[in-house]
Amino acid sequence: MAKERTAYIVICIALIITAMLALMLGTQFYSLAQLWQALTGHQPAILSTVLTFRLPRILAALIAGGMLASAGAISQSVFRNRLADPTILGVTSAGELLMLIGSLMLPAFAFQKQLLALVGGLVAFALLANRKTLRQPYQLIIVGVALNLTFMALTQLFTKGINVSTSLGFNGITWSSVYSLLITGFIGLVAVLLMAPWANDLKLPDEQLSSVGVPVTAMRLGLLVLVVYLSADVTAVAGTIPFIGIIVPNIARYFVGHDYQTILPFSMLSGAWLLLAVDTIGRIVVLPSEISAATIMAVIGGPFLIILVQRGGFHGIKAR
Amino acid sequence: MELKHVNYGYPGSENLITDFTATVPKGKILAIIGQNGAGKSTLLKLLMGSVLPASGTVEIDGKPITALSRRERAAKIALVTQQHQIYDEMTVKEVVKTGRLPFHSLLATISDAEVRPFLETVNLAHAMDRPLTSLSGGQQQRVWLAAALAQEPQYLFLDEPTTYLDIRYQHDLMELIQKLNVEKQITVVMVLHDINQALKISDQLWLIKRGKLLEAGPATAILDKALLSEAFELPIKIVKIEKYGPYVIQLTA
Repeated sequence: MAKERTAYIVICIALIITAMLALMLGTQFYSLAQLWQALTGHQPAILSTVLTFRLPRILAALIAGGMLASAGAISQSVFRNRLADPTILGVTSAGELLMLIGSLMLPAFAFQKQLLALVGGLVAFALLANRKTLRQPYQLIIVGVALNLTFMALTQLFTKGINVSTSLGFNGITWSSVYSLLITGFIGLVAVLLMAPWANDLKLPDEQLSSVGVPVTAMRLGLLVLVVYLSADVTAVAGTIPFIGIIVPNIARYFVGHDYQTILPFSMLSGAWLLLAVDTIGRIVVLPSEISAATIMAVIGGPFLIILVQRGGFHGIKAR
Repeated sequence: MELKHVNYGYPGSENLITDFTATVPKGKILAIIGQNGAGKSTLLKLLMGSVLPASGTVEIDGKPITALSRRERAAKIALVTQQHQIYDEMTVKEVVKTGRLPFHSLLATISDAEVRPFLETVNLAHAMDRPLTSLSGGQQQRVWLAAALAQEPQYLFLDEPTTYLDIRYQHDLMELIQKLNVEKQITVVMVLHDINQALKISDQLWLIKRGKLLEAGPATAILDKALLSEAFELPIKIVKIEKYGPYVIQLTA
Protein backbone atom coordinates (compact mmCIF):
# COMPACT_ATOMS: atom_id res chain seq x y z
CA MET A 1 0.00 0.00 0.00
CA ALA A 2 2.78 2.41 0.97
CA LYS A 3 4.63 1.60 -2.24
CA GLU A 4 1.45 2.24 -4.23
CA ARG A 5 0.81 5.59 -2.55
CA THR A 6 4.41 6.68 -3.06
CA ALA A 7 4.18 5.70 -6.72
CA TYR A 8 1.06 7.85 -7.17
CA ILE A 9 2.63 10.83 -5.39
CA VAL A 10 5.84 10.57 -7.43
CA ILE A 11 4.02 10.35 -10.75
CA CYS A 12 1.79 13.34 -9.90
CA ILE A 13 4.80 15.46 -8.95
CA ALA A 14 6.62 14.32 -12.11
CA LEU A 15 3.59 15.29 -14.19
CA ILE A 16 3.45 18.81 -12.72
CA ILE A 17 7.20 19.39 -13.10
CA THR A 18 7.27 18.03 -16.66
CA ALA A 19 4.27 20.12 -17.67
CA MET A 20 5.98 23.23 -16.27
CA LEU A 21 9.19 22.39 -18.12
CA ALA A 22 7.23 21.77 -21.33
CA LEU A 23 5.75 25.26 -21.02
CA MET A 24 9.18 26.79 -20.41
CA LEU A 25 11.28 24.93 -23.01
CA GLY A 26 11.29 25.35 -26.78
CA THR A 27 13.00 27.42 -29.44
CA GLN A 28 12.65 30.23 -26.95
CA PHE A 29 13.19 29.60 -23.26
CA TYR A 30 10.73 31.25 -20.90
CA SER A 31 11.45 31.45 -17.21
CA LEU A 32 8.73 30.85 -14.64
CA ALA A 33 8.73 34.60 -13.99
CA GLN A 34 8.12 35.31 -17.67
CA LEU A 35 5.33 32.76 -17.80
CA TRP A 36 3.72 34.37 -14.76
CA GLN A 37 3.99 37.79 -16.37
CA ALA A 38 2.42 36.38 -19.54
CA LEU A 39 -0.40 34.91 -17.53
CA THR A 40 -1.05 38.20 -15.77
CA GLY A 41 -1.22 40.04 -19.08
CA HIS A 42 2.19 41.70 -19.08
CA GLN A 43 3.80 39.62 -21.85
CA PRO A 44 1.24 39.20 -24.64
CA ALA A 45 3.79 37.80 -27.12
CA ILE A 46 4.79 35.01 -24.73
CA LEU A 47 1.17 34.34 -23.87
CA SER A 48 0.36 34.00 -27.54
CA THR A 49 3.22 31.51 -28.14
CA VAL A 50 2.25 29.47 -25.12
CA LEU A 51 -1.45 29.41 -25.98
CA THR A 52 -1.00 28.78 -29.69
CA PHE A 53 1.85 26.28 -29.70
CA ARG A 54 2.89 24.90 -26.36
CA LEU A 55 -0.33 24.46 -24.39
CA PRO A 56 -2.31 22.56 -27.06
CA ARG A 57 0.66 20.33 -27.66
CA ILE A 58 1.09 19.61 -23.95
CA LEU A 59 -2.59 18.80 -23.48
CA ALA A 60 -2.60 16.56 -26.56
CA ALA A 61 0.49 14.66 -25.39
CA LEU A 62 -0.97 14.21 -21.90
CA ILE A 63 -4.32 12.81 -22.97
CA ALA A 64 -2.85 10.73 -25.82
CA GLY A 65 -0.27 9.21 -23.46
CA GLY A 66 -2.98 8.25 -20.99
CA MET A 67 -5.12 6.77 -23.76
CA LEU A 68 -2.29 4.71 -25.28
CA ALA A 69 -1.12 3.37 -21.93
CA SER A 70 -4.67 2.33 -20.97
CA ALA A 71 -5.24 0.76 -24.39
CA GLY A 72 -2.05 -1.28 -23.88
CA ALA A 73 -3.01 -2.41 -20.37
CA ILE A 74 -6.47 -3.49 -21.48
CA SER A 75 -5.08 -5.35 -24.52
CA GLN A 76 -2.80 -7.24 -22.16
CA SER A 77 -5.77 -8.31 -20.09
CA VAL A 78 -7.93 -9.28 -23.07
CA PHE A 79 -5.19 -11.21 -24.86
CA ARG A 80 -3.77 -12.51 -21.55
CA ASN A 81 -0.39 -11.49 -22.88
CA ARG A 82 1.90 -8.88 -21.40
CA LEU A 83 3.32 -7.95 -24.79
CA ALA A 84 -0.02 -7.20 -26.38
CA ASP A 85 -0.36 -3.59 -27.48
CA PRO A 86 -2.36 -2.05 -30.32
CA THR A 87 0.72 -0.45 -31.85
CA ILE A 88 2.65 -3.69 -32.32
CA LEU A 89 -0.38 -5.80 -33.21
CA GLY A 90 -1.10 -3.77 -36.33
CA VAL A 91 -4.20 -2.04 -34.95
CA THR A 92 -2.87 1.48 -35.34
CA SER A 93 -1.06 0.87 -38.63
CA ALA A 94 -4.29 -0.58 -40.07
CA GLY A 95 -5.96 2.63 -38.94
CA GLU A 96 -3.29 4.74 -40.61
CA LEU A 97 -3.64 2.75 -43.84
CA LEU A 98 -7.38 3.26 -43.90
CA MET A 99 -7.01 6.96 -43.13
CA LEU A 100 -4.66 7.23 -46.10
CA ILE A 101 -6.96 5.32 -48.43
CA GLY A 102 -9.84 7.46 -47.23
CA SER A 103 -7.97 10.70 -47.88
CA LEU A 104 -7.16 9.52 -51.41
CA MET A 105 -10.46 8.00 -52.41
CA LEU A 106 -13.28 9.28 -50.24
CA PRO A 107 -14.84 12.71 -50.06
CA ALA A 108 -14.19 14.45 -46.75
CA PHE A 109 -16.76 13.88 -44.01
CA ALA A 110 -17.04 14.67 -40.33
CA PHE A 111 -14.70 12.71 -38.04
CA GLN A 112 -13.30 11.03 -41.15
CA LYS A 113 -9.89 10.22 -39.70
CA GLN A 114 -11.28 8.97 -36.39
CA LEU A 115 -13.85 6.74 -38.04
CA LEU A 116 -11.43 5.31 -40.57
CA ALA A 117 -8.81 4.66 -37.88
CA LEU A 118 -11.51 2.92 -35.86
CA VAL A 119 -12.60 0.72 -38.77
CA GLY A 120 -8.96 -0.10 -39.60
CA GLY A 121 -8.32 -1.09 -35.99
CA LEU A 122 -11.38 -3.31 -35.89
CA VAL A 123 -10.30 -5.01 -39.13
CA ALA A 124 -6.87 -5.71 -37.63
CA PHE A 125 -8.48 -7.19 -34.51
CA ALA A 126 -10.80 -9.32 -36.60
CA LEU A 127 -7.73 -10.72 -38.38
CA LEU A 128 -6.01 -11.38 -35.04
CA ALA A 129 -9.00 -13.00 -33.41
CA ASN A 130 -8.24 -16.56 -34.34
CA ARG A 131 -8.74 -19.14 -31.61
CA LYS A 132 -5.34 -20.75 -32.14
CA THR A 133 -3.53 -17.44 -32.31
CA LEU A 134 -5.17 -16.21 -29.14
CA ARG A 135 -4.04 -19.29 -27.22
CA GLN A 136 -0.35 -19.00 -28.12
CA PRO A 137 1.25 -15.84 -26.73
CA TYR A 138 4.20 -15.78 -29.09
CA GLN A 139 2.04 -16.65 -32.07
CA LEU A 140 -0.19 -13.68 -31.30
CA ILE A 141 2.79 -11.35 -31.25
CA ILE A 142 4.27 -12.80 -34.46
CA VAL A 143 0.94 -12.57 -36.30
CA GLY A 144 0.49 -9.05 -34.94
CA VAL A 145 3.95 -7.97 -36.06
CA ALA A 146 3.34 -9.50 -39.50
CA LEU A 147 0.05 -7.62 -39.79
CA ASN A 148 1.73 -4.44 -38.64
CA LEU A 149 4.49 -4.76 -41.26
CA THR A 150 1.95 -5.55 -43.97
CA PHE A 151 -0.16 -2.50 -43.19
CA MET A 152 2.91 -0.29 -43.01
CA ALA A 153 4.19 -1.63 -46.34
CA LEU A 154 0.78 -1.04 -47.94
CA THR A 155 0.80 2.50 -46.61
CA GLN A 156 4.22 3.03 -48.20
CA LEU A 157 2.99 1.48 -51.43
CA PHE A 158 0.06 3.88 -51.61
CA THR A 159 2.20 6.91 -50.84
CA LYS A 160 4.89 6.01 -53.42
CA GLY A 161 5.18 8.86 -55.87
CA ILE A 162 2.09 10.58 -54.56
CA ASN A 163 2.33 13.75 -52.62
CA VAL A 164 0.09 13.02 -49.69
CA SER A 165 0.25 14.91 -46.52
CA THR A 166 0.77 12.17 -43.96
CA SER A 167 2.63 14.29 -41.45
CA LEU A 168 1.04 13.45 -38.17
CA GLY A 169 2.36 14.09 -34.72
CA PHE A 170 2.05 16.78 -32.15
CA ASN A 171 4.00 19.39 -34.12
CA GLY A 172 1.68 22.18 -35.13
CA ILE A 173 -1.36 20.54 -33.57
CA THR A 174 -4.39 22.79 -33.64
CA TRP A 175 -6.82 23.56 -30.83
CA SER A 176 -9.61 21.92 -32.79
CA SER A 177 -7.68 18.62 -32.90
CA VAL A 178 -6.90 19.01 -29.21
CA TYR A 179 -10.55 19.63 -28.32
CA SER A 180 -11.61 16.57 -30.28
CA LEU A 181 -8.92 14.47 -28.61
CA LEU A 182 -9.80 15.81 -25.15
CA ILE A 183 -13.49 15.03 -25.56
CA THR A 184 -13.08 11.56 -27.06
CA GLY A 185 -10.18 10.84 -24.73
CA PHE A 186 -12.14 11.86 -21.64
CA ILE A 187 -15.04 9.61 -22.64
CA GLY A 188 -12.64 6.74 -23.36
CA LEU A 189 -10.75 7.09 -20.10
CA VAL A 190 -13.94 7.22 -18.03
CA ALA A 191 -15.02 4.02 -19.81
CA VAL A 192 -11.64 2.49 -18.98
CA LEU A 193 -12.09 3.21 -15.27
CA LEU A 194 -15.63 1.85 -15.31
CA MET A 195 -14.65 -1.31 -17.15
CA ALA A 196 -11.50 -1.97 -15.09
CA PRO A 197 -13.16 -4.80 -13.08
CA TRP A 198 -13.65 -6.70 -16.35
CA ALA A 199 -9.92 -6.62 -17.00
CA ASN A 200 -9.48 -8.29 -13.60
CA ASP A 201 -12.16 -10.89 -14.29
CA LEU A 202 -10.38 -11.97 -17.46
CA LYS A 203 -7.51 -13.32 -15.37
CA LEU A 204 -9.72 -16.36 -14.88
CA PRO A 205 -10.24 -19.03 -17.54
CA ASP A 206 -13.37 -18.67 -19.68
CA GLU A 207 -14.97 -21.82 -18.28
CA GLN A 208 -14.65 -20.52 -14.73
CA LEU A 209 -16.10 -17.14 -15.72
CA SER A 210 -19.04 -18.79 -17.45
CA SER A 211 -19.76 -20.82 -14.32
CA VAL A 212 -20.19 -17.59 -12.36
CA GLY A 213 -22.61 -16.27 -14.93
CA VAL A 214 -20.30 -13.86 -16.72
CA PRO A 215 -20.85 -13.27 -20.46
CA VAL A 216 -17.15 -13.69 -21.27
CA THR A 217 -17.28 -13.12 -25.01
CA ALA A 218 -19.34 -9.95 -24.72
CA MET A 219 -17.00 -8.68 -22.03
CA ARG A 220 -13.91 -9.36 -24.12
CA LEU A 221 -15.49 -7.78 -27.18
CA GLY A 222 -16.47 -4.68 -25.19
CA LEU A 223 -12.91 -4.23 -23.97
CA LEU A 224 -11.49 -4.77 -27.46
CA VAL A 225 -13.76 -2.10 -28.92
CA LEU A 226 -12.57 0.24 -26.17
CA VAL A 227 -8.93 -0.52 -27.04
CA VAL A 228 -9.54 0.24 -30.73
CA TYR A 229 -11.48 3.40 -29.86
CA LEU A 230 -8.66 4.73 -27.68
CA SER A 231 -5.82 3.91 -30.04
CA ALA A 232 -7.72 4.96 -33.18
CA ASP A 233 -8.44 8.38 -31.68
CA VAL A 234 -4.79 8.99 -30.96
CA THR A 235 -3.74 7.62 -34.35
CA ALA A 236 -6.16 9.94 -36.12
CA VAL A 237 -4.55 12.97 -34.51
CA ALA A 238 -0.93 12.02 -33.95
CA GLY A 239 -0.21 8.87 -35.97
CA THR A 240 1.19 5.69 -34.47
CA ILE A 241 3.21 6.23 -31.30
CA PRO A 242 4.61 2.81 -30.44
CA PHE A 243 5.43 1.01 -27.20
CA ILE A 244 3.76 3.29 -24.63
CA GLY A 245 1.11 0.62 -24.18
CA ILE A 246 3.75 -2.00 -23.38
CA ILE A 247 6.25 -0.01 -21.33
CA VAL A 248 3.85 1.83 -19.04
CA PRO A 249 1.56 -1.01 -17.83
CA ASN A 250 4.50 -3.35 -17.28
CA ILE A 251 6.30 -0.78 -15.14
CA ALA A 252 2.99 0.03 -13.43
CA ARG A 253 2.62 -3.62 -12.39
CA TYR A 254 5.98 -3.39 -10.66
CA PHE A 255 4.95 -0.36 -8.61
CA VAL A 256 1.24 -0.81 -7.95
CA GLY A 257 0.64 -4.56 -8.24
CA HIS A 258 -1.61 -6.59 -10.48
CA ASP A 259 -5.08 -5.21 -9.83
CA TYR A 260 -6.33 -3.51 -12.99
CA GLN A 261 -8.38 -1.10 -10.91
CA THR A 262 -5.03 0.30 -9.79
CA ILE A 263 -2.93 -0.49 -12.87
CA LEU A 264 -5.27 1.44 -15.18
CA PRO A 265 -5.41 4.80 -13.38
CA PHE A 266 -1.69 4.61 -12.66
CA SER A 267 -0.99 3.76 -16.30
CA MET A 268 -3.06 6.76 -17.42
CA LEU A 269 -0.97 9.11 -15.30
CA SER A 270 2.35 7.46 -16.21
CA GLY A 271 1.47 7.27 -19.91
CA ALA A 272 0.56 10.96 -19.87
CA TRP A 273 3.85 11.78 -18.19
CA LEU A 274 5.95 9.58 -20.50
CA LEU A 275 4.50 10.94 -23.72
CA LEU A 276 4.77 14.53 -22.53
CA ALA A 277 8.38 13.97 -21.42
CA VAL A 278 9.30 12.29 -24.71
CA ASP A 279 7.57 14.96 -26.81
CA THR A 280 9.26 17.73 -24.85
CA ILE A 281 12.68 16.12 -25.23
CA GLY A 282 12.01 15.65 -28.97
CA ARG A 283 11.16 19.35 -29.25
CA ILE A 284 14.41 20.59 -27.77
CA VAL A 285 17.25 18.16 -28.55
CA VAL A 286 17.86 19.18 -32.17
CA LEU A 287 16.72 22.80 -32.17
CA PRO A 288 15.51 24.40 -34.37
CA SER A 289 14.31 21.09 -35.80
CA GLU A 290 12.71 18.33 -33.74
CA ILE A 291 12.43 14.56 -33.37
CA SER A 292 8.94 13.10 -33.24
CA ALA A 293 7.69 11.38 -30.08
CA ALA A 294 7.04 8.26 -32.18
CA THR A 295 10.71 8.02 -33.19
CA ILE A 296 11.95 8.45 -29.64
CA MET A 297 9.45 5.91 -28.33
CA ALA A 298 10.59 3.38 -30.95
CA VAL A 299 14.20 3.92 -29.84
CA ILE A 300 13.33 3.40 -26.15
CA GLY A 301 10.62 0.78 -26.69
CA GLY A 302 12.59 -1.70 -28.80
CA PRO A 303 15.26 -2.37 -26.14
CA PHE A 304 12.60 -2.37 -23.37
CA LEU A 305 10.70 -5.10 -25.20
CA ILE A 306 13.87 -7.16 -25.60
CA ILE A 307 14.67 -6.83 -21.89
CA LEU A 308 11.10 -7.71 -20.93
CA VAL A 309 11.17 -10.91 -22.97
CA GLN A 310 14.71 -11.96 -22.10
CA ARG A 311 14.48 -11.27 -18.39
CA GLY A 312 11.44 -13.51 -18.16
CA GLY A 313 9.16 -10.63 -17.33
CA PHE A 314 7.01 -12.03 -20.08
CA HIS A 315 4.50 -14.47 -18.69
CA GLY A 316 2.24 -14.28 -21.68
CA ILE A 317 -0.68 -16.58 -21.46
CA LYS A 318 1.17 -18.98 -19.19
CA ALA A 319 -1.08 -20.07 -16.42
CA ARG A 320 0.23 -19.80 -12.91
CA MET B 1 -31.97 -32.07 -9.72
CA GLU B 2 -32.33 -34.88 -12.20
CA LEU B 3 -31.24 -36.25 -15.52
CA LYS B 4 -33.94 -37.89 -17.63
CA HIS B 5 -32.89 -40.17 -20.51
CA VAL B 6 -29.95 -37.92 -21.30
CA ASN B 7 -27.80 -38.64 -24.33
CA TYR B 8 -24.76 -36.60 -25.17
CA GLY B 9 -21.96 -36.97 -27.68
CA TYR B 10 -20.22 -35.40 -30.62
CA PRO B 11 -21.88 -35.96 -33.99
CA GLY B 12 -20.46 -38.97 -35.80
CA SER B 13 -18.82 -40.53 -32.76
CA GLU B 14 -19.90 -42.85 -29.96
CA ASN B 15 -22.10 -41.29 -27.27
CA LEU B 16 -20.23 -39.98 -24.23
CA ILE B 17 -23.41 -40.31 -22.14
CA THR B 18 -26.10 -42.84 -23.03
CA ASP B 19 -29.70 -42.90 -21.81
CA PHE B 20 -28.73 -41.57 -18.40
CA THR B 21 -31.51 -41.26 -15.84
CA ALA B 22 -30.73 -40.44 -12.22
CA THR B 23 -31.65 -38.04 -9.43
CA VAL B 24 -29.24 -35.96 -7.37
CA PRO B 25 -30.33 -36.46 -3.74
CA LYS B 26 -31.06 -33.04 -2.23
CA GLY B 27 -29.02 -32.05 0.81
CA LYS B 28 -26.73 -35.07 0.49
CA ILE B 29 -23.24 -35.78 -0.76
CA LEU B 30 -23.17 -37.57 -4.10
CA ALA B 31 -19.99 -39.02 -5.59
CA ILE B 32 -19.65 -39.99 -9.23
CA ILE B 33 -17.09 -42.74 -9.76
CA GLY B 34 -15.86 -44.71 -12.74
CA GLN B 35 -12.88 -45.13 -15.03
CA ASN B 36 -11.13 -42.22 -16.68
CA GLY B 37 -13.11 -41.24 -19.74
CA ALA B 38 -16.30 -42.87 -18.42
CA GLY B 39 -18.06 -39.50 -18.69
CA LYS B 40 -17.90 -38.27 -15.07
CA SER B 41 -16.88 -34.69 -15.86
CA THR B 42 -19.29 -34.61 -18.80
CA LEU B 43 -22.10 -35.45 -16.38
CA LEU B 44 -21.11 -32.48 -14.23
CA LYS B 45 -21.16 -30.23 -17.29
CA LEU B 46 -24.59 -31.51 -18.23
CA LEU B 47 -25.88 -30.95 -14.70
CA MET B 48 -24.49 -27.41 -14.74
CA GLY B 49 -26.04 -26.67 -18.10
CA SER B 50 -22.66 -25.74 -19.58
CA VAL B 51 -23.26 -28.39 -22.26
CA LEU B 52 -26.70 -29.37 -23.51
CA PRO B 53 -27.89 -32.95 -24.04
CA ALA B 54 -28.52 -34.22 -27.57
CA SER B 55 -31.73 -35.68 -26.22
CA GLY B 56 -33.36 -36.00 -22.80
CA THR B 57 -33.65 -33.30 -20.15
CA VAL B 58 -31.73 -31.97 -17.19
CA GLU B 59 -34.02 -30.47 -14.55
CA ILE B 60 -33.37 -28.36 -11.51
CA ASP B 61 -36.18 -27.87 -8.98
CA GLY B 62 -38.58 -29.32 -11.54
CA LYS B 63 -37.62 -26.86 -14.29
CA PRO B 64 -35.36 -27.52 -17.27
CA ILE B 65 -31.89 -26.12 -16.56
CA THR B 66 -32.09 -24.24 -19.86
CA ALA B 67 -34.98 -22.19 -18.46
CA LEU B 68 -32.56 -20.49 -16.08
CA SER B 69 -30.36 -17.62 -17.20
CA ARG B 70 -26.61 -17.96 -16.84
CA ARG B 71 -26.73 -15.77 -13.73
CA GLU B 72 -29.61 -17.68 -12.16
CA ARG B 73 -27.71 -20.90 -12.71
CA ALA B 74 -24.57 -19.37 -11.16
CA ALA B 75 -26.55 -18.41 -8.07
CA LYS B 76 -27.70 -22.03 -7.65
CA ILE B 77 -24.68 -24.07 -8.74
CA ALA B 78 -20.98 -23.49 -8.01
CA LEU B 79 -18.08 -25.46 -9.44
CA VAL B 80 -14.62 -26.23 -8.08
CA THR B 81 -12.35 -27.96 -10.57
CA GLN B 82 -9.20 -29.99 -10.04
CA GLN B 83 -6.78 -27.38 -11.27
CA HIS B 84 -7.39 -23.71 -11.77
CA GLN B 85 -5.45 -21.63 -14.19
CA ILE B 86 -5.09 -17.93 -13.77
CA TYR B 87 -3.45 -15.71 -16.33
CA ASP B 88 -1.92 -13.09 -14.10
CA GLU B 89 -1.33 -12.60 -10.43
CA MET B 90 -4.46 -12.48 -8.30
CA THR B 91 -4.77 -11.99 -4.58
CA VAL B 92 -6.83 -14.40 -2.52
CA LYS B 93 -9.65 -11.88 -2.05
CA GLU B 94 -9.76 -11.12 -5.79
CA VAL B 95 -10.35 -14.80 -6.49
CA VAL B 96 -13.16 -15.00 -3.94
CA LYS B 97 -14.74 -11.80 -5.28
CA THR B 98 -15.29 -13.52 -8.62
CA GLY B 99 -17.76 -15.77 -6.77
CA ARG B 100 -19.88 -12.70 -6.01
CA LEU B 101 -20.26 -11.75 -9.68
CA PRO B 102 -23.74 -13.32 -10.05
CA PHE B 103 -25.08 -10.88 -7.44
CA HIS B 104 -23.75 -7.62 -8.83
CA SER B 105 -23.92 -5.55 -11.95
CA LEU B 106 -21.02 -6.33 -14.26
CA LEU B 107 -19.33 -3.00 -13.58
CA ALA B 108 -19.60 -3.15 -9.80
CA THR B 109 -16.64 -3.07 -7.45
CA ILE B 110 -17.01 -5.72 -4.76
CA SER B 111 -15.87 -4.83 -1.24
CA ASP B 112 -13.43 -6.85 0.87
CA ALA B 113 -15.98 -7.04 3.69
CA GLU B 114 -18.38 -8.88 1.42
CA VAL B 115 -16.02 -11.80 0.82
CA ARG B 116 -14.43 -12.03 4.28
CA PRO B 117 -17.09 -14.42 5.72
CA PHE B 118 -16.44 -16.96 2.95
CA LEU B 119 -12.72 -16.86 3.61
CA GLU B 120 -13.44 -17.26 7.31
CA THR B 121 -15.41 -20.43 6.53
CA VAL B 122 -12.32 -21.97 4.95
CA ASN B 123 -10.01 -20.48 7.62
CA LEU B 124 -8.12 -18.23 5.23
CA ALA B 125 -9.30 -14.74 6.18
CA HIS B 126 -5.78 -13.94 7.36
CA ALA B 127 -4.42 -14.56 3.84
CA MET B 128 -6.87 -12.23 2.07
CA ASP B 129 -4.27 -9.88 0.64
CA ARG B 130 -1.71 -12.50 -0.29
CA PRO B 131 -1.08 -13.52 -3.90
CA LEU B 132 -2.83 -16.82 -4.58
CA THR B 133 0.38 -18.39 -5.87
CA SER B 134 2.13 -17.81 -2.54
CA LEU B 135 -0.20 -20.35 -0.88
CA SER B 136 0.23 -24.13 -0.77
CA GLY B 137 -1.81 -26.36 -3.08
CA GLY B 138 -4.21 -27.28 -0.31
CA GLN B 139 -4.73 -23.66 0.71
CA GLN B 140 -5.27 -22.64 -2.91
CA GLN B 141 -7.96 -25.30 -3.26
CA ARG B 142 -9.63 -23.84 -0.15
CA VAL B 143 -9.55 -20.39 -1.76
CA TRP B 144 -11.37 -21.77 -4.81
CA LEU B 145 -13.83 -23.43 -2.48
CA ALA B 146 -14.39 -20.06 -0.78
CA ALA B 147 -15.02 -18.52 -4.22
CA ALA B 148 -17.60 -21.24 -4.91
CA LEU B 149 -19.23 -20.64 -1.50
CA ALA B 150 -19.36 -16.92 -2.29
CA GLN B 151 -21.89 -17.88 -4.96
CA GLU B 152 -24.08 -19.04 -2.04
CA PRO B 153 -25.04 -22.09 -4.07
CA GLN B 154 -27.61 -24.76 -3.33
CA TYR B 155 -25.45 -27.20 -5.26
CA LEU B 156 -21.68 -27.43 -4.93
CA PHE B 157 -19.96 -29.37 -7.73
CA LEU B 158 -16.41 -30.55 -7.31
CA ASP B 159 -14.48 -32.11 -10.17
CA GLU B 160 -11.70 -34.23 -8.68
CA PRO B 161 -10.93 -31.59 -6.06
CA THR B 162 -8.21 -33.60 -4.31
CA THR B 163 -6.15 -34.60 -7.34
CA TYR B 164 -3.05 -32.56 -6.60
CA LEU B 165 -3.25 -32.72 -2.82
CA ASP B 166 -1.36 -34.89 -0.37
CA ILE B 167 -3.36 -37.12 1.97
CA ARG B 168 -3.34 -34.59 4.82
CA TYR B 169 -4.85 -31.86 2.62
CA GLN B 170 -7.23 -34.38 1.06
CA HIS B 171 -8.51 -35.27 4.51
CA ASP B 172 -8.89 -31.63 5.59
CA LEU B 173 -10.73 -30.69 2.39
CA MET B 174 -13.13 -33.61 2.66
CA GLU B 175 -13.83 -32.79 6.29
CA LEU B 176 -14.59 -29.20 5.32
CA ILE B 177 -16.92 -30.34 2.53
CA GLN B 178 -18.81 -32.61 4.94
CA LYS B 179 -19.12 -29.71 7.37
CA LEU B 180 -20.50 -27.41 4.66
CA ASN B 181 -22.98 -30.08 3.62
CA VAL B 182 -24.30 -30.42 7.16
CA GLU B 183 -24.14 -26.82 8.36
CA LYS B 184 -25.13 -24.97 5.21
CA GLN B 185 -27.36 -27.67 3.75
CA ILE B 186 -25.50 -27.56 0.44
CA THR B 187 -26.02 -30.50 -1.90
CA VAL B 188 -22.57 -31.71 -2.91
CA VAL B 189 -21.84 -33.50 -6.19
CA MET B 190 -18.28 -34.73 -6.53
CA VAL B 191 -16.35 -36.51 -9.22
CA LEU B 192 -13.72 -38.56 -7.42
CA HIS B 193 -11.14 -40.94 -8.79
CA ASP B 194 -10.36 -42.40 -5.37
CA ILE B 195 -13.07 -45.02 -4.77
CA ASN B 196 -12.30 -45.36 -1.08
CA GLN B 197 -12.53 -41.64 -0.52
CA ALA B 198 -15.82 -41.61 -2.38
CA LEU B 199 -17.21 -44.51 -0.40
CA LYS B 200 -16.17 -42.94 2.87
CA ILE B 201 -17.56 -39.44 2.37
CA SER B 202 -20.68 -39.80 0.26
CA ASP B 203 -24.27 -40.62 1.07
CA GLN B 204 -24.95 -41.70 -2.50
CA LEU B 205 -22.77 -42.88 -5.37
CA TRP B 206 -23.21 -43.17 -9.10
CA LEU B 207 -21.02 -45.86 -10.58
CA ILE B 208 -20.66 -45.28 -14.30
CA LYS B 209 -19.02 -47.05 -17.21
CA ARG B 210 -18.71 -45.73 -20.77
CA GLY B 211 -21.38 -43.11 -20.25
CA LYS B 212 -23.92 -45.48 -18.71
CA LEU B 213 -25.13 -45.70 -15.15
CA LEU B 214 -24.17 -49.10 -13.74
CA GLU B 215 -25.48 -48.57 -10.24
CA ALA B 216 -26.78 -45.75 -8.07
CA GLY B 217 -27.10 -46.03 -4.33
CA PRO B 218 -25.39 -45.79 -0.97
CA ALA B 219 -21.93 -47.25 -0.33
CA THR B 220 -23.46 -50.58 0.70
CA ALA B 221 -24.97 -50.98 -2.76
CA ILE B 222 -21.72 -50.13 -4.54
CA LEU B 223 -19.48 -52.27 -2.34
CA ASP B 224 -19.90 -55.30 -4.55
CA LYS B 225 -16.80 -57.05 -5.79
CA ALA B 226 -18.33 -58.16 -9.10
CA LEU B 227 -19.88 -54.76 -9.80
CA LEU B 228 -16.68 -52.82 -9.14
CA SER B 229 -14.60 -55.32 -11.13
CA GLU B 230 -16.92 -54.82 -14.07
CA ALA B 231 -16.87 -51.03 -13.78
CA PHE B 232 -13.10 -50.77 -13.64
CA GLU B 233 -12.33 -53.89 -15.70
CA LEU B 234 -9.93 -55.07 -13.03
CA PRO B 235 -10.00 -57.86 -10.46
CA ILE B 236 -11.08 -56.13 -7.27
CA LYS B 237 -11.23 -57.25 -3.68
CA ILE B 238 -12.96 -55.64 -0.74
CA VAL B 239 -11.06 -55.99 2.50
CA LYS B 240 -12.13 -54.98 5.98
CA ILE B 241 -9.81 -52.75 7.95
CA GLU B 242 -10.26 -52.49 11.67
CA LYS B 243 -11.62 -49.11 12.83
CA TYR B 244 -11.97 -48.04 9.17
CA GLY B 245 -14.37 -50.43 7.51
CA PRO B 246 -14.45 -51.88 4.02
CA TYR B 247 -11.59 -50.90 1.71
CA VAL B 248 -11.38 -51.52 -2.03
CA ILE B 249 -8.11 -52.83 -3.44
CA GLN B 250 -7.21 -54.03 -6.91
CA LEU B 251 -5.61 -57.40 -7.16
CA THR B 252 -3.23 -57.09 -10.11
CA ALA B 253 0.44 -57.19 -9.16
